Amino acid sequence: MIIAKNVCKSYNGTQVLKDVSLEIADGEFAVILGASGSGKSTLLSVLSGLEKADSGSICCNGTQLETLDDDGLTAFRKREVGFIFQQYYLLPHLNVDNNVKLGASLAGNKAYRQIIEAVGLKDKLKSSPAALSGGEQQRVCIARALAKNPNVLYLDEPTGALDEATGREVLDYILKLQHEKGFTMIMVTHNVNIADTAETVIKMNSGKITEIYKNSARKNAYEIGW
Amino acid sequence: MVVSIKDGLKLIGVTIICFCAVYVCTFMLNYYIDVKPLGADITDERLSALYSAQIAMAKFTSIITGSVLGVIAAVMLVFYVKLYIDGRARQLGIIKAMGYSRIKIALGFWVFGLSVFIGCALGFAAGWASMDMIYGSMTIDGVGVISPSFHAWLMFALVFAPAAVFTALACGYACFALRRPVMQLIRGASKVRISQSGKDEKSEKDRKFLTEMSLKTLGSKKLLVFFVAFSCFCFSAMVQMGLSMEDLTSDTMGYMILAIGLILAAVTTVMSVTSLINSNAKNIALMKAFGYTKTQRTLSVFGGFIPFAFVGFAVGTGYQYGLLKIMVNVVFADVAEVPDYNFNVPVFFITLAAFVVCYAAAAAAYSVVLNSFSVKKIMTEN
Repeated sequence: MIIAKNVCKSYNGTQVLKDVSLEIADGEFAVILGASGSGKSTLLSVLSGLEKADSGSICCNGTQLETLDDDGLTAFRKREVGFIFQQYYLLPHLNVDNNVKLGASLAGNKAYRQIIEAVGLKDKLKSSPAALSGGEQQRVCIARALAKNPNVLYLDEPTGALDEATGREVLDYILKLQHEKGFTMIMVTHNVNIADTAETVIKMNSGKITEIYKNSARKNAYEIGW
Repeated sequence: MVVSIKDGLKLIGVTIICFCAVYVCTFMLNYYIDVKPLGADITDERLSALYSAQIAMAKFTSIITGSVLGVIAAVMLVFYVKLYIDGRARQLGIIKAMGYSRIKIALGFWVFGLSVFIGCALGFAAGWASMDMIYGSMTIDGVGVISPSFHAWLMFALVFAPAAVFTALACGYACFALRRPVMQLIRGASKVRISQSGKDEKSEKDRKFLTEMSLKTLGSKKLLVFFVAFSCFCFSAMVQMGLSMEDLTSDTMGYMILAIGLILAAVTTVMSVTSLINSNAKNIALMKAFGYTKTQRTLSVFGGFIPFAFVGFAVGTGYQYGLLKIMVNVVFADVAEVPDYNFNVPVFFITLAAFVVCYAAAAAAYSVVLNSFSVKKIMTEN
């Protein structure tokens, strides 16, 4: 369960988050939707413990993030959180197997190759990131994030750098894996169509939540517009 | 896991400097250790003075070479680690975001110590390979021929200990540099100081744009200013010293000093200029797209460094003169046959001419690289 209350965050005197409050249940898939500059990525950063909020409180699975220092936040992220970003940032000198192992070793997950298989990269274990397509690289990132068995998976525009076909394919993988494994998933996107795949949609504008609604019928990655 | 062995071995500059330092220290310290016990048996006053001077020179050279080159290698290592972290800030940020502690990430930087180990090991081996020749050139008439003995502790002190210290330095500095918040690493943001005062803004308006850009490049790369000045210092000091020492020491020693100086100057020049060009690639590509001429683009990057290059040269001239004067007047004060040393004006002008030619050629060569950047290539790079 993630509970944020009256969260505020400023950069260089500009308030980016203004009194943001929300609740996300265990196993829920929530999308934070907003235009560029609406504060959605900053909200993701403070919810996931990448940054501290200036004020307000955030409780993630019983841990009050505002009470933690940098080392405490690192330990929290190690225990609870997985990340997938728009850019892949794979380690170029490590092959697929070792890039995923980077996440797996944090959780002592020896069965991480099952995840590589689940994202369809079983045949690319020894390939270097440079030899992979954009979609394949993003799938390595998904496997890397999931290999540490996170309770909450945070995604920042995971399909933003991909073409439509690859984007749909990657989104499909993510949705299936979330459905199978049941972790909480919070995705930031500016794509209103992707919001149709989520259970909960949190709309943001100018640092404030303007609307939170539940989708009565969720669509899959191939049913939405792009 | 974080840093590949290939990355660690890219520190060829550090390897070369460690090689030079350990090479000189190996035969000088070995000579010092082997010759020191003979002092008690020398009764002749003239021989005793000569012996003391040789011992002092070996000690003095080892300390100067070891400490100066050691400090430079340490600065270069830290510089490389900083460049590595800046260049891969996003990847390191992701790893930190995943939950790896900065200490655990920093421990992966141990591979940078490999380059030091290789340099030191090769330097020690080369020192030993040339030991007989060096001992021959440093023979004291009347004391007899001394053959080099192997001292295991010296190998430990010159090879394993520096490798361990430099490995710890690389990991320690990485740990310090990774204190940056995760989001700052992921966004790749670096601290850029922008003037807030109206006075500065006004004076900036009065300056020409290219001068301004040149000064900004200079201000953002203070460590490179040091390396550019240092490379010129090495060139000036070591070339003049090597050419001025013919009356004071053997030809072998003179050539060795000359060679080490040229290697140091080349290594630091290549390292600093390569780094300078890489960090300005986008600016240069944009200037090219906007229609700035080749000369304007080159000057905007290199222009600000020219005065510092000459400062380095001037300091190097003063340093070599001062050092040789001290050696003649202090270290060899008791030795009767040592000639007086005066500033060598012809060597100064020859070195200055060579300096201008060499560095102008290097700048011309680098300007070809600099102007080969295309906007499309640079901007599509992640």
